[in-house]
Amino acid sequence: MSKKTHKKTKVTLLEHSYDGIQEFDQHLPNWWLITFYGAMVFSVFYWFVFFQSNSEGVNNVPRLESELARIESAKLAGAIANLDNDMLWKMSRNAEVVASGKETYVANCASCHGPELKGGIGVNLVDDVWIHGPLAMDHYNLIKAGYAPKGMPTWGPILGDKKIAEVTAFILSHHAVPADPNGADHAHSQH
Amino acid sequence: MSQTKTIEYDDQIVRMFMIASITFAVVGMSAGVLVASQLNFWQMNGKFLEWITFGLIRSEGLAELTFGRLRPLHTNAAIFAFVGNMMFAGIYYSTQRLCKTRLASDFLSWLHFWGWQLIIVAAAVSLPLGLTRGKEYAELIWPINIAVALIWVVFAINFFWTLAKRNEPTIYVAIWFYIATIVTVAMLYIVNHLSWPTGLLHSYPLFAGVQDALVQWWYGHNAVAFFLTTPILGIMYYFLPKAAERPVYSYRLSIVHFWALVFIYIWAGPHHLLNTALPEWVQGTGMLFSLMLWAPSWGGMLNGLLTLRGAWDKLRTDPVIKFLAAGVTFYGMSTFEGPLMSIRAVNALSHYTDWTIGHVHGGTLGWNGLMAAGMFYWLAPRLWNTKLYSPALANLHFWLAMVGILLYMGSMWAAGIGQGLMLNGLKENNTLLNYPNFLETLQSIQMMYLTRLIGGGSYLIGFFMLAYNIWMTARSGQPVNGTIEITEDENHAHAPAKMGLIEALCSVPILVMLVGVLVCSLWVFGTGLVQVLGLVLTVVVILGAVVHFEMSGGKWGKWYDTLAANPLPFTVLTFLAVAIGGSIQIIPTVTLAKDKNIEDRIQQVYTPLELAGRDLYIREGCYNCHSQMIRTMVPDVLRYGDYSRLGESIYDHPFQWGSKRTGPDLARTVGKYPDIWHLRHMENPRSTSPGSNMPNYPWLLHNKLETATLKARIDVQRKLGVPFAPMTAEQISQQVAEQGAGISASLRGAGAAVPPDREIVALIAYLQQLGKSIDLSEKAAGK
Repeated sequence: MSKKTHKKTKVTLLEHSYDGIQEFDQHLPNWWLITFYGAMVFSVFYWFVFFQSNSEGVNNVPRLESELARIESAKLAGAIANLDNDMLWKMSRNAEVVASGKETYVANCASCHGPELKGGIGVNLVDDVWIHGPLAMDHYNLIKAGYAPKGMPTWGPILGDKKIAEVTAFILSHHAVPADPNGADHAHSQH
Repeated sequence: MSQTKTIEYDDQIVRMFMIASITFAVVGMSAGVLVASQLNFWQMNGKFLEWITFGLIRSEGLAELTFGRLRPLHTNAAIFAFVGNMMFAGIYYSTQRLCKTRLASDFLSWLHFWGWQLIIVAAAVSLPLGLTRGKEYAELIWPINIAVALIWVVFAINFFWTLAKRNEPTIYVAIWFYIATIVTVAMLYIVNHLSWPTGLLHSYPLFAGVQDALVQWWYGHNAVAFFLTTPILGIMYYFLPKAAERPVYSYRLSIVHFWALVFIYIWAGPHHLLNTALPEWVQGTGMLFSLMLWAPSWGGMLNGLLTLRGAWDKLRTDPVIKFLAAGVTFYGMSTFEGPLMSIRAVNALSHYTDWTIGHVHGGTLGWNGLMAAGMFYWLAPRLWNTKLYSPALANLHFWLAMVGILLYMGSMWAAGIGQGLMLNGLKENNTLLNYPNFLETLQSIQMMYLTRLIGGGSYLIGFFMLAYNIWMTARSGQPVNGTIEITEDENHAHAPAKMGLIEALCSVPILVMLVGVLVCSLWVFGTGLVQVLGLVLTVVVILGAVVHFEMSGGKWGKWYDTLAANPLPFTVLTFLAVAIGGSIQIIPTVTLAKDKNIEDRIQQVYTPLELAGRDLYIREGCYNCHSQMIRTMVPDVLRYGDYSRLGESIYDHPFQWGSKRTGPDLARTVGKYPDIWHLRHMENPRSTSPGSNMPNYPWLLHNKLETATLKARIDVQRKLGVPFAPMTAEQISQQVAEQGAGISASLRGAGAAVPPDREIVALIAYLQQLGKSIDLSEKAAGK
């Protein structure tokens, strides 16, 4: 109501009454306004960070996926003692394992096998030709023992089982999972 | 020349609604205490009949008395019967006086009253019979839905007609809240109840899966907002200053918090779906608008509590003030707790637990219940022209209610947070669940459930005292109708400026608001240049509005005073304010979240037997305790399996994501247990899951599955867009018989002779496919 008549102690009492009910016209409390505006400012900020800055790992699904990969890799790490073909292929689909494998690969293997794994001094690792056997465990064992005639070092004592398994998984991540990871016929093997 | 005439208010309708409200309060709260006891003692689902009849009735469980059917009865009774009738009593009493006129039509008032009571009776009969739509607080079947909509229209006509006849130039803040209530509830109710009937008593909702989830919680949350909050705020604005005999604290706070409340509230629905398969941006709006809602809600509390300044001494003498002050305080508590629980990280802990139940009851018992009691104690002496029969009894009621609420909320906080921590707790470098067995977590909160039962019981006893007190008050007096003398001439002298609809829509404040929403949407939804432009324009509009407001020297205030004298534009603007939020959230989801846009996993269409089983799942109200939504959270995934994708429930009319996990999630039940496990579990859950509080479902083993309407049901599903293959009735029966025979054979092989045509067979078929989906990404990669 615009009819402000009674002015006592800075508080305006509106003239009108509804069934005997009158209304003051007090100013909005500052703390209330701060709460209200604060929530709005926070919302703008939050919206920007979560939905417009495109920062990775803030949203639920990518964050969950990476956390699940971490859990799986932790479980896989515990299983290296009884490693087999299935396990290696499984590791090759785990983002976290593959990422660690890549790190090891770049540091130790890329100089001969190339950053794209296409070979150079060493053999090509992304074609379907496996000189030392087609199974995942064949690759693992070969990296571990090395192959002196072609200059492949014995990595076992240097990298340890875990890192070798990870590197194997990284290499396998460039290949499709075979229908039967234990079968010998899914890739050409040359001797 | 002034003419004086006397107007007699229709207070008879107020008395009727008030008595109905008290009656259904007692009924609804008794149902609440019963369902609470069922969570402690599974025997309360029917077995207790053996004890109280000394063995006359033999029953392992009675369908009509199970938790899944009675919980909807409790919620519907509390919301629509108790608070509904209370709201109508309060609105009719105050509106007549605030408009200085009698209700427009005695016939419409009468129709409103009896229509509403008939609806309540129909609900009370249909829900225990298992007739339900399977959506929370929207369970009633379609013929009752239509009745509700019609009676609501009757109410609306009666109300707005009364406004039109008013002898008061402007409308008071209480009326604003009533207008918001009537308009918004109509919108919410109609949209969320859109269904396609398959017969006289059954229908499928138009929306499915994620769309249905969004529409449901847009409705569900705003049922709280516009059925349990705004009308009661209006009632507060009338009865509290009346009882306190003090002016309302601040008119401008009324304006700001009213418009902020109605505009923001409607957006908050998705906070019921945080961390689910709902698109994340919608979740984001749900959370943020809930936070922004905190201050507007507290605006209402402030205007209530600060009105009591100078009247606090009445707390000692007047039970009415006691109830109203406590009610408003609980409103403040709940509206702080709500935004807190809407924060995604807090919600990860609180959601699906009893914390939510505690929160809701803080609102219903604390805010609605105490406000209702305060209003009734104030009204009764005036409606029957006497004194309150016993203020002492009213005081006792107050303390019983207070102790009851605190026991209720305290135990539910402890239960919810405790169980939430157990369920989400991880160990061994966060790779394993602390408590892999769900039942262990349920066991740990039994004591809290018992405390809640005592608290709820105490509150119920208090309400029985109120009923007795009001009854004795009424008996001690005579029903009287209030009157008022009005001078006709006076109105013309004070006739306020008229404002037409176009004029209202084209005024500066509204244009600023509309353009503001538009440019803000550009910023939020746009990309690249559009987004930057949107952001810049948003800032420009806000600054422009502030400058215009400051420069125009109180023009906005005058404009608002004129608006408050013109109910038609006021109502239209209110509708606009509540329609924006829902539209921005729902329209993109409804148009985009369709099966043809799904890229990862899509639900496999049910077989006829599975669909029949699903309808049984809905009939028994399984969704009251079991979710079908594995959230995007590590503990959920470790406990229940891979997180649920949007496409995995895309054909579910209605969705069954659930809102509470009294039992475990069922989204990936497929193949978890053999058929025989499900049979034994449904027959007696404790035989497979020791310590479970789930009811027995012995009738599922005996009842023959109803398949006559299956053809009609599948046809409706096809019309709604579910890709069922076209089938004749014979083909359907044949498929049902074949699949049923397979399950029956598997059960026989495991030592249980169940004919293939029993309900349990269909339910097992449904449970055994929960989580089956087609992986479209693999399919695409395969090509």
